[in-house]
Amino acid sequence: MTALPSLPPHKLTETPNSRTIQIGEWTITGRTNPISNAGECDALQAWLQGMPLPEMTFGNNSLELEHKSSGWKYTFNTADALKAVKNGELGEGDGGVKVGYADAWLKSRTGESSQLPMPRTVATKPYDWTYTTTYPGHSLEFPSTYASWTLANEDNPRHTIPLAELTRQDPILYYAEIPLFEDELHDNGSSHLLTRIRVMPTCFFILSRFTLRVDNVLFRTYDTRIYHSFESSPPLVVRETSGWEAPYDRIKRQIHRRNDLTPLTDPNWVAKVLSEMPSHVTQEEGAGTGWRGMGTKVEIAILG
Amino acid sequence: MPSDLDRQIEQLMRCEPISEEEVKRLCIKAREILVEEANVQAVDSPVTICGDIHGQFWDMMELFKVGGACPDTNYLFMGDFVDRGFYSVETFLLLLALKVRYPERMTLIRGNHESRQITQVYGFYDECQRKYGSSNVWRWCCEVFDYLALGAVVDGRVFCVHGGLSPNLQGIDQIRAIDRKQEVPHDGPMCDLLWSDPDEITGWGLSPRGAGFLFGADIAKAFAHHNAIDLVARAHQLAMEGFKLMFDQTIVTVWSAPNYCYRCGNVAAVLELDEHLMQEYKVFQHAPADVRSIPAKRPPADYFL
Repeated sequence: MTALPSLPPHKLTETPNSRTIQIGEWTITGRTNPISNAGECDALQAWLQGMPLPEMTFGNNSLELEHKSSGWKYTFNTADALKAVKNGELGEGDGGVKVGYADAWLKSRTGESSQLPMPRTVATKPYDWTYTTTYPGHSLEFPSTYASWTLANEDNPRHTIPLAELTRQDPILYYAEIPLFEDELHDNGSSHLLTRIRVMPTCFFILSRFTLRVDNVLFRTYDTRIYHSFESSPPLVVRETSGWEAPYDRIKRQIHRRNDLTPLTDPNWVAKVLSEMPSHVTQEEGAGTGWRGMGTKVEIAILG
Repeated sequence: MPSDLDRQIEQLMRCEPISEEEVKRLCIKAREILVEEANVQAVDSPVTICGDIHGQFWDMMELFKVGGACPDTNYLFMGDFVDRGFYSVETFLLLLALKVRYPERMTLIRGNHESRQITQVYGFYDECQRKYGSSNVWRWCCEVFDYLALGAVVDGRVFCVHGGLSPNLQGIDQIRAIDRKQEVPHDGPMCDLLWSDPDEITGWGLSPRGAGFLFGADIAKAFAHHNAIDLVARAHQLAMEGFKLMFDQTIVTVWSAPNYCYRCGNVAAVLELDEHLMQEYKVFQHAPADVRSIPAKRPPADYFL
């Protein structure tokens, strides 16, 4: 008999639609519910100034973290993630794109040889139909100016996310996958925001990943990682945000079995390929859209 | 022959695929029936109208529980039988077998997923490969897709279509002029019928995606008036409550895939039209977890980085 590693005291509570862990100073709650109903969708759409919602809007899902002694509260939720989607005419830096066959489609309606007269059309509401969001979660309460995000110090090893600790197969005390929204872009690809968390004996770690595929146009990933070591004193939270983008064909070429396109629908495979390519390719050139989300930033917050 | 087909229907009802040879014969027979159908098939009431299924076989069994068994109930399915769910093969083949067995009692019209291009991306192609070890079944099914009707009219009063209207089609008669026996094109009126959406605008709008049309209440009402119909029934868009009426009840979206993609938690509905075309929406839930053999709700803990 080998002795089980000693686990820190913690308490798990569960309802059909939520799970909570209390560990040390922290209370962490993940909520997973059905997609919003028609009434909730109408209210959310009104709150978003009329922006059409993703087909699957999990408006009642969230991840909430609360640090007792400092009062720091941080959350990931659907409404705020969608608030960060460009609503209105897209401009420089927004990274707007059209579907792959948009030019051909328009030409079929307006070209000289077109047999199909274009009807007079009215302006439809401009918004980013790809639902690209760089939402990194948000603070509900900042108890002191100390607890705001500041750029990490590159020379301070505590200001990074320690991969060695996170790759160790320590027991997972609490795990949640919380979808915030998903849209299949009318069968032109997929847009997807998923927040995951695992609480380990020594730390918690969050990955909130936005993944976009526009068929025959591009791939885009925006990751927010949040790490906190329970041993840090004063309590320190590290947040790393990274955006990558590449033309569709460039990623498709990375598939090993040419007939099997399923990796293209796997956000983790796409993120791995994007992040392993040279950064001048996927974090500067991207797919030539000028999307401002490209690049990587590490910040820290010290909790009072 | 009918006894053979009845046995296949029984087998498919248990969600067991039939043999490749049987699929081939079924598809040939189905094409012989479908080729005789009009682009806009005339259907008599009473009939039960269904929206997207997307390979959710066990949820379609719930639909039949709520709506009644075929052929006791007449059915009209408005497309998107395949892709996304785990049982596109069994779902489509069962509907097709019922169509061949009871051609007058089962109407199938084409959705935008009944297409070679779309099924290669969204699962049906992979499923055929996995279940039959070759792409033959997928190829034969796609050939059937090309023969599916583009719409239907119930008693001349309810127009049914997968997506919506087209700016190039004011009259239902104009739809009859389309040569439908082809892959779903990327543009033109046939594409519009399978792809367009109603929206809270006036007139026609261009989708912000850069392709495809949106149409407002005035367009839907003008179409209904011009063609002397009471209602446009369509599918294509997820409706959390199973159906969604718009434009002063001129158009309804019917959605028949409960707990869509096994994770949305939505209910589904069918629209029953009785012999007086009175509408009754029957809402139903997804199949209980023990029969649908799909992954457990809670994902396994993962050492993501």
